[in-house]
Amino acid sequence: MPFDFAVVLIFLAVSAGFVWAAMFVGKLVRPHRPDAQKLQTYECGERPIGAAWYNFNPRFYLLALVFIIFDVEIALTFPVGVVARAWVEAGHGLTVVVEILLFVAVLVAALAYVWGRGDLNWVRDLEHEAPLPPVEPPPDAALTREVHS
Amino acid sequence: MAGTTESLARFAPELVLSATILAILIVDLIARLQPKRPSLLSGVALVGLSAMAGALWLTPTGDTSLFTHLLAFDGLARYFKGFFILAAALGVLFGHLSDEISRSRLGEYYIQLLCLTLGLSLLASAQNLLMLYLALELVSLPSYVLSGFRWWDRRASEAALKYVVFGGAASGVMLYGFSLIYGITGTLQIDGVAAALTAAATGGQGIAGQLGLLMAVMLSLAGFGYKVAAVPFHMWCPDVYEGAPTTFVAFLSVAPKAAGFAALIRFFVVGFGQPAPGAAGFPWAEILGIIAIGTMTLGNVVAVTQDNVKRLLAYSSIAQAGYLIMALAVGTDEAIRAVMLYLGFYLLMNMGAFFGVQLAGGERLSAFRGMASRNATLAITMAIFLFSLTGIPPFAGFIGKFYLFAAVLSVGEPFFYALAIIGVLNSAISLYYYAKVVRVMFLDKAEEGDGVVEVSRPASALLLALAGPTLLFGVWWAPLADLIDKASSILR
Repeated sequence: MPFDFAVVLIFLAVSAGFVWAAMFVGKLVRPHRPDAQKLQTYECGERPIGAAWYNFNPRFYLLALVFIIFDVEIALTFPVGVVARAWVEAGHGLTVVVEILLFVAVLVAALAYVWGRGDLNWVRDLEHEAPLPPVEPPPDAALTREVHS
Repeated sequence: MAGTTESLARFAPELVLSATILAILIVDLIARLQPKRPSLLSGVALVGLSAMAGALWLTPTGDTSLFTHLLAFDGLARYFKGFFILAAALGVLFGHLSDEISRSRLGEYYIQLLCLTLGLSLLASAQNLLMLYLALELVSLPSYVLSGFRWWDRRASEAALKYVVFGGAASGVMLYGFSLIYGITGTLQIDGVAAALTAAATGGQGIAGQLGLLMAVMLSLAGFGYKVAAVPFHMWCPDVYEGAPTTFVAFLSVAPKAAGFAALIRFFVVGFGQPAPGAAGFPWAEILGIIAIGTMTLGNVVAVTQDNVKRLLAYSSIAQAGYLIMALAVGTDEAIRAVMLYLGFYLLMNMGAFFGVQLAGGERLSAFRGMASRNATLAITMAIFLFSLTGIPPFAGFIGKFYLFAAVLSVGEPFFYALAIIGVLNSAISLYYYAKVVRVMFLDKAEEGDGVVEVSRPASALLLALAGPTLLFGVWWAPLADLIDKASSILR
């Protein structure tokens, strides 16, 4: 039994060693002549227009989260649709309908909450000029979330 | 095993809690412009929690497991559910009285707090490793959000980020441990693990299997250790406690820790037999004992030098977890009852102590200078909580510790005698830093600029309501002990 694991261990050691060996041989053989063009960021043939490490607008993430509401809804309603016929035949039709309506109602509550708070608007009304780094606690923290455009 | 309908009937407390969460969401939305919205929201939350308590009271008794063995329904789960309802109700009251939570975001705060409570109640009854992991995540996610609730505060965002990174790593490691357990035993049921281990032990296990098991359990321990803040998974604790709103820390330092212990009890006592006999030839009791020694010693020694009361209480809560793990290492029914009893007292005294910090209007030690002359109620109740945390008679903490140490000593082996002696020495160290706060409050004179600390009447009443039982249980703890005797049944 332990010998089966020894095979795995040897495999791991050889594969890790192979990477190092290949890199080392490459370093011995290849020419080393870097220039500015070569060191540039590679962007699929496009001319790079700036650093890739900057803050994305958090609105994208928020919308993605809202999308999950619908995603979950469809993912969990499908199975119910599949078994619904069997349940109706067994005389539990009402149970299925009530249950799925309850489930959707929970998700709708989440959507209503997001909508009511104005998170579905791409541009939110702000009480100050954006961007503004909030240093002091704002009077109403919920309404003054910062938006980078 | 209960069928779906019976399971749903026994799941009623969680269903009521879920309905409460939705109700708060909707009320928060509809009553946006109502001036009385905060009281309305707190009212809905408290009514919901009372209804949950009622549902818990009315659920049929009798141990069984729910939803095809995912959740256990036994005395342990019921006790901890009651515990979490009480903690959440106190959390709501603290939040209502807190000036750190802006009134416009109170609904958001309650929603997160109650989602966390839902996770806690699932964690205490989870009987399947996957369910346990899901419940743990349901506890963790709102905790991250609430730690960074005051996002404009640099310390809060630091706390939240540290918590997320550390929590993510810990739960990843734990998940890996679970996957190994599944690989070795072929089951995700905690009670099935015990059976599989017994079968493997009689069948003769190879060294590879034993090593794998040891690794699996140590990795799983990372997740639990992180929830209860045991060394070496304690690093997040002081920073998160410092950065998070005090009113949330009061809850965080008690309820998730208790849930972590509930899960640990189930995991070790149910899954690995009583740990003492050494399931599969490994000294679980000694491993847990060594973790306990590290946890209580580090917590107490580092707490000595703190001058921020929130950090001091953070290290103190690490130390308290150490005492509890010490009893858990024993693993007898007596020890489990002692852990449950101590957690009950810990709820009162630790939430009380953090509530005191919340009301004091500052978290540095200097903010407590001459508190006796600035607000006598606050100073006296705070002293009660701190002395109770030390474990001095006649406070509840003494009784709790007495039971813990009695359980450890009753094993009668040299290792456990040593463990108990280290525990007692640690208690002696803890007296120094708890008494330091009391000294600052009573012996130091208030300086210029230290005005009277205004505490509203409901807040004073709440302080007294927490301090009263802390004193009362110190002399008359039989009711709680009886309750626990009845409630300590575990599904095996």
